[in-house]
Amino acid sequence: MSTSKKRLGSIVRHGLLGIWAIFALFPLIWMLIMTFKSEADVMTTTFIFTPTLDNYRQVLLQSDYLRFFTDSVITSVGAVLISVLLGVPAAYALARYKFKYKEGLAFQILSFRFAPELLVVLPLFMIYQRMGLHDTYLGLIWVYQLISMPLIIWVVRGYFEDISVEIEHAAQVDGYNWWQVFMKTLVPLIKPGLVSSALLAFIFVWNSFTFPLMLSGFNVSPVTVAAMRFLASHTVQYGQMAVAATISALPAVVFALLIQKHLVRGLSFGAVKG
Amino acid sequence: MASIELSGVTKRFGKVTALDNISLEIKDKEFFVLFGPAGAGKTTILNIIAGIHMPESGVVKINGEIVNQVEPQNRDVAMVFENYALYPHLKVYDNIASPLRSPRHKKDEAYIKEAVERVAALLKIDQFLDRLPVQLSNGQRQRVALGRALVRYPNVYLMDEPLAHLDAKLRNVMRGELKMIQSNFNTTAIYVTHDFMEAMSLSDRIAVINEGSIVQVGASDEIYYLPCNEFVAQLMGDPEINLLDCEIDVSGNVYSAKFTEIDAVIELPHDADVYATLKDYGAVKLRMGLRPQNIEFSFDPADGFIQGQVYSFETIGNKSVLTVTVGGKKEVRLIAPNGLPVKLDQNIYIKPDLMQSLYFHADSSEFICRYNEAAIRALAAEKAGEE
Repeated sequence: MSTSKKRLGSIVRHGLLGIWAIFALFPLIWMLIMTFKSEADVMTTTFIFTPTLDNYRQVLLQSDYLRFFTDSVITSVGAVLISVLLGVPAAYALARYKFKYKEGLAFQILSFRFAPELLVVLPLFMIYQRMGLHDTYLGLIWVYQLISMPLIIWVVRGYFEDISVEIEHAAQVDGYNWWQVFMKTLVPLIKPGLVSSALLAFIFVWNSFTFPLMLSGFNVSPVTVAAMRFLASHTVQYGQMAVAATISALPAVVFALLIQKHLVRGLSFGAVKG
Repeated sequence: MASIELSGVTKRFGKVTALDNISLEIKDKEFFVLFGPAGAGKTTILNIIAGIHMPESGVVKINGEIVNQVEPQNRDVAMVFENYALYPHLKVYDNIASPLRSPRHKKDEAYIKEAVERVAALLKIDQFLDRLPVQLSNGQRQRVALGRALVRYPNVYLMDEPLAHLDAKLRNVMRGELKMIQSNFNTTAIYVTHDFMEAMSLSDRIAVINEGSIVQVGASDEIYYLPCNEFVAQLMGDPEINLLDCEIDVSGNVYSAKFTEIDAVIELPHDADVYATLKDYGAVKLRMGLRPQNIEFSFDPADGFIQGQVYSFETIGNKSVLTVTVGGKKEVRLIAPNGLPVKLDQNIYIKPDLMQSLYFHADSSEFICRYNEAAIRALAAEKAGEE
């Protein structure tokens, strides 16, 4: 009785999960299928068609797609690196030191994430053009700080706050100077938060569309924007766009899978106890 | 091995004055105890000696050298933190080895292994060396924290309540061990505690701290038998000392104490010094301090005994505390043997041993005098000379 009940429960559970999985993944599967369809098949067939690698050949070999992909890598990695290098000390200061307007400053940093990107992107576009930052790596990396820096600062700050200050004192008394204390004692303790927030920031930056749409051009062009090039004036190359989108989604998917276990823990748990 | 000297040290945290113009001199190889209630500033003194906090004013000297500007890692001190401050990401072994791996005190791994195993055996944590701090009980963590300090031979050990979280039995064992370690290592130790038994048994000298100031410094006997005020007298001793308001009546050559709260008069034994001091002191109002073990009791009325009623009887290990209400309201605590057949509210008669009584100023609560003062002072001085 009880075994059959259990089995029934298990079937129902898996059935529901299966429905959810199809619902969630179907658009992605559709896109993946589309990459193998010829131009003629895109609109007329669903599952039965003659698979072709033409789209891949077109996108990877006969367009500048790989250059755009590299642009995305350079700007995203650069943005996250700078956010980590500047954000971790900032988080430490916000967690440890007492200074005037501290909470106000912390809120200000967070508030960078509040404004709709469309609202600020136009003035930024004018400023960037005057300053010569438009369509450069530096310009994009700079503006991406609005996305990645607040996330890293706020997550890592929480981790620093969870580390009792006596641990730093103990390490100093043990004979380590401040820099060694930071690298040997604090960095290992904030690592889960730092890694997960940095990867999440990377994904956000990678997926960013509005900023690069306005602030990049022909020299520097991340994949999110570049994919639009396949919308030609009178035809839409659906198959090629699907390839571009699939490949550009890959890093985010791979990273998310790699750190899945740590991502939720790293963002929701405190650093240490005891 | 080092002497420590603080002179005129003041430390403020924002508007709160944690230490107010503290001066202390700790001799080389001394076991010095900082004793006081919570929030008195004991830990702040340790932090200032370790260099973790900078005093706003005053001078800190280690071995005669001013170290105000010296970073903690260059002061060669070892500290046991009250909240253990273990490195959560390191195993017990690596926690204890940490000082010996630091650039400042670097040793080779073979030496480290031997040293870690030595202190682990001493502290009975050798079976936990592979664990992380989260996998330990508080008592075990505290021993790891002790181990991290004891693994080195520093100028001075700074210990902040290192036994507070151990169970009673282990605490007694460790108390003995610590005393032995310190004398074997030939090192100075500064030890913070709020447990007067620990303070009494470990210390060469005790400094009683209250509200950021030093109240009294002296050997344990001195502090116990000659407390400089009521605060110290109350802090040292469990159950607490009894303080009875009294007035001194002089009739001819005889001084007697009239207890204002309990409506009784007791003639003070004749003692030239005590009489003279009380006479010089002039005012008649004062408070008599009587330790619970210095009060006799009887169930039958007798000469010199004061009547009272049993209020409570609690057994604390190998003795019991008997609380007696005298004169209807004043509660007097005294020590009684276990298993005493008493009923609540039954009549009981008590008699203080006045030769052990202490006298305090009624308003300022400063110490005035006691019986056998000269003898006790001589004894304390003699003991101090031995150290």
